[in-house]
Amino acid sequence: MNKLHFKVGLFTAASLLLAGAFVVYLLHARGFFEKTYHLQLAAASADGVAPGVPIVFSGIEIGRVTTLGLNDSGGIVIRTEFLERNAKWLKETSTFTLDKPLVGGAKIRVDSPDLNAPALPDNSTMLLLTSDISKEIPALVERVKAILANVEYLTRKDGEINATLANFKTLSGRMTGEHGMLEGILGSPEKARAVTDSLDKTRALMARLDSLAAKSDQWLFAKEGVAEQTRESLVQMRQMLSDAQASLKKADTLMANAVEISADVKEGTQDLAALRTEIDDAVRKANALVNEINKKWPFARDPEVKLP
Amino acid sequence: MARVSHELPLRANLSALDNIALIPIYQRHFSVDESNRQAWQLLEQLGHAGIAALRDPDMTPAQRFVTKLARALILRRPRLVIDRPGAMLYDVPYPAFIRKLAEQAEMTGTWEIFDFSWNQTLYPE
Amino acid sequence: MNFLAASIESLGAKVVGWFTVGYGMFAFLVQATLLLLERATWNRATFDVVIKQVYFTAVQILHVFLGYVLVISWLIITIILSTARDFGLTEFASEMTIRVLVLELLPFLTALFIALRSGSAINTEVALMQVNSELDALAHCKVPPMQFEFLPRLIGGVISSVTLAGLAGLLALLLGYLAIYGTTAAGFEPYTQTIAKIFDFRIVAGLVIKCALFGLAVTLIPVTAGLETPKKLFMVPVSVLRGMMRVFFAIVAIEVVSLALKYI
Repeated sequence: MNKLHFKVGLFTAASLLLAGAFVVYLLHARGFFEKTYHLQLAAASADGVAPGVPIVFSGIEIGRVTTLGLNDSGGIVIRTEFLERNAKWLKETSTFTLDKPLVGGAKIRVDSPDLNAPALPDNSTMLLLTSDISKEIPALVERVKAILANVEYLTRKDGEINATLANFKTLSGRMTGEHGMLEGILGSPEKARAVTDSLDKTRALMARLDSLAAKSDQWLFAKEGVAEQTRESLVQMRQMLSDAQASLKKADTLMANAVEISADVKEGTQDLAALRTEIDDAVRKANALVNEINKKWPFARDPEVKLP
Repeated sequence: MARVSHELPLRANLSALDNIALIPIYQRHFSVDESNRQAWQLLEQLGHAGIAALRDPDMTPAQRFVTKLARALILRRPRLVIDRPGAMLYDVPYPAFIRKLAEQAEMTGTWEIFDFSWNQTLYPE
Repeated sequence: MNFLAASIESLGAKVVGWFTVGYGMFAFLVQATLLLLERATWNRATFDVVIKQVYFTAVQILHVFLGYVLVISWLIITIILSTARDFGLTEFASEMTIRVLVLELLPFLTALFIALRSGSAINTEVALMQVNSELDALAHCKVPPMQFEFLPRLIGGVISSVTLAGLAGLLALLLGYLAIYGTTAAGFEPYTQTIAKIFDFRIVAGLVIKCALFGLAVTLIPVTAGLETPKKLFMVPVSVLRGMMRVFFAIVAIEVVSLALKYI
């Protein structure tokens, strides 16, 4: 037996075997042995969508956009392709959202809230929703403005808080009890607790606004983080957040002062109750806003790296 | 005409047998085994079968000459010219050596030896 | 004025020299390709020489080569992964690893490896054959040196380059998987997805063609450089030097062109 020939033969056979296995694996990976599954998405605008844009489900790519086209009525039709093994995630209740994050490429997100729902048939057409962060920012700015106005209204010079405090100054007498003088003012422990609760909420909100402002700062000054106009609205929003925080701080001080004022309680009760309702309202709105901002902005993502 | 000359060396990294067997393989398209057999036969005829596995650098001048001669013989051309044998066979009395080889090889055609005129005395006839 | 004329003349001489070398290689390649189509070429003897060439170029050094690929791949994968983690780009790490290693770096290193080991040897051998008139002897015996000596080297070079780069790539894919997901089967699906995304038909065909061209460059250029050697023993080192320079430029040129075709 020729040893040289044997070695070369072994090498060739092993290489061919590996190459063959890899080709089969590649064909499997690219779905050569599977049926492809098609889906059309109807959208109002094809802005940001191009062939090759991935379709992700729970963060994992399951398909791609193949072509873009117009239908007879001028609407956009986006044709997409899935491998059969991935098509099981598409249900009749699934929603398709175009995600255009400020950083990174566009992608179409699939949400299937009910995995037991009937499967989406091949070649069906679904609606593509748009969740474009850069378009939503102006709306968010409007809402921040409204809240700011509300807070300002509460804390303006001749506003209700000041009036209430003026009232307090005429009151006298310090009460004792679990909730200090507020119990005296409001007449019952429950009412007093309500006021202190709203005070706590205000303080918690301030802390959150503070951290949000810090985050947006960090994001704003990151290089090439956002587009120019988006950046401007963000700067604006950042200022508003600071303003809102300042106003709330003022309200907080006033409330704290109110607690310290020793006065006759009876007349103040009504004003204080109204004030509490309004502060509560502002706090609730601001809280919801902060939640929303946190949810939608890219910097609110979990910064830790997770391996898939 | 086939030439045996010091200007036509052997392939250095092939054995004597391979050097000879090349010619039937590439000229007459014999299989490798058949060509090796022919080359072996020729070497045996010349009485030097023992050098089949040697490579050029390992041979003595006489062995090298025999291999070159075998390579020229296997070409089967009508004339064989040995060009200045003194340059290749400097370690043996070469006219006698060549005559001995010529008697062993069955060969049609003529062998001619070209040599320097001052070596004429070496050749008896 | 004279100086200007002289420099223009020397430039012209250089360009003509390049064209002569390029044309020589091209003519040689065409001749080899035409011979490939002839039935007479495909005999047992040529096949034996091809096998010998594959043995010396690929099989003999396989363990050394794979060890070297193992070390290089592991290092590069680790660097890419840790950098990607630092910048929060882990999702791109596996794709980056495959693109950098399997598609670019490993074929390039394989070509350099073969060039340094076999290319220089071929260049020296052909130059010595030329200087020692062994080629004249072959011509006298009417043994075609192209079929007997050169063509098997070219074929062996191409086969070795493609297989060695392929094996190195597979090893790197395996290492990449192990580095990212560890010894579990959990990452198989996403890794398959990434591989499917990268290796489309164009990329695979491009990779094979690139490796084949590398294999051709590291054998064809040394052979032609060796054949150019004047019949003087002291010219052999010069011939090897020139040949290896040309090989290096050719490898870099192939890599640059392939990158340009892929990404521009």
